[in-house]
Amino acid sequence: MAPVTRTITQQQLLAYADASGDLNPIHVNEQFARTTMFGGTIAHGMLVLALIGEMMFAAHGEAWASRGKLKVRFKAPGRPGDTITASAQLTREDAGSGNVEYAVQCANAAGETVIEGRASIGSAA
Amino acid sequence: MTSARTSVSTLPRGYELEPAQFSLPPERIDAYLLAVGDRNAYGNIVPPLAVVALALAELQEQVSLPEGSLHTAQEVEHLRTVRAGEMLTMRGRIAQRSERQGFVISVIELDVLAAEGESAVRARTTVLAPGGALGA
Repeated sequence: MAPVTRTITQQQLLAYADASGDLNPIHVNEQFARTTMFGGTIAHGMLVLALIGEMMFAAHGEAWASRGKLKVRFKAPGRPGDTITASAQLTREDAGSGNVEYAVQCANAAGETVIEGRASIGSAA
Repeated sequence: MTSARTSVSTLPRGYELEPAQFSLPPERIDAYLLAVGDRNAYGNIVPPLAVVALALAELQEQVSLPEGSLHTAQEVEHLRTVRAGEMLTMRGRIAQRSERQGFVISVIELDVLAAEGESAVRARTTVLAPGGALGA
């Protein structure tokens, strides 16, 4: 499966906050975020997770949209300036039913895992 | 964040949110796709994570996340394709609640229903939030 790579920007965090309604100041208020344990703003987890969704739809199209499953943990924050790569490794494939399962992850350029988990597509009804 | 909403860390296990309807006009989906940088050709298909993101927006109309809250895990199950223009209903509940070292871990279950009443997307969102007294 082709990985998806994107560099996160603060402008993107602001746009996502507008689009999603998630205005948590840790994502949008740089002055506030500098006072926290993160030392600066961090990306919404769902913003980074969208890279995995994009990757899965690019590979499987409507099958992903209609019968996909995703289960992930957010392991580390993505930050403005980080280049994040979403990737997947096939862990199970059933040719008869069409079920597939992947280990999925998002990692930054330093190789640190930002998100990890599993994605799967069930069989068509 | 307004103080009129209830903080997630004060909600008990089993608490049910008020159902909330939300629409998926194409321009709202386009704004989401632009924000996340996704250039897939979706046609009129709404990415499932967009459905979850917008359902969580409805959740946050009722439930506030205290400063210092973190999204720690996410599960999503796609039950059918959602298309632009649909009207959906978010139903949510606090499925689990535990406390650890002054923080509250809440698992919020969302069931996003299509107009016909069937589930289109289900999600479980785990949030770690600074502690609050139950029922406060």
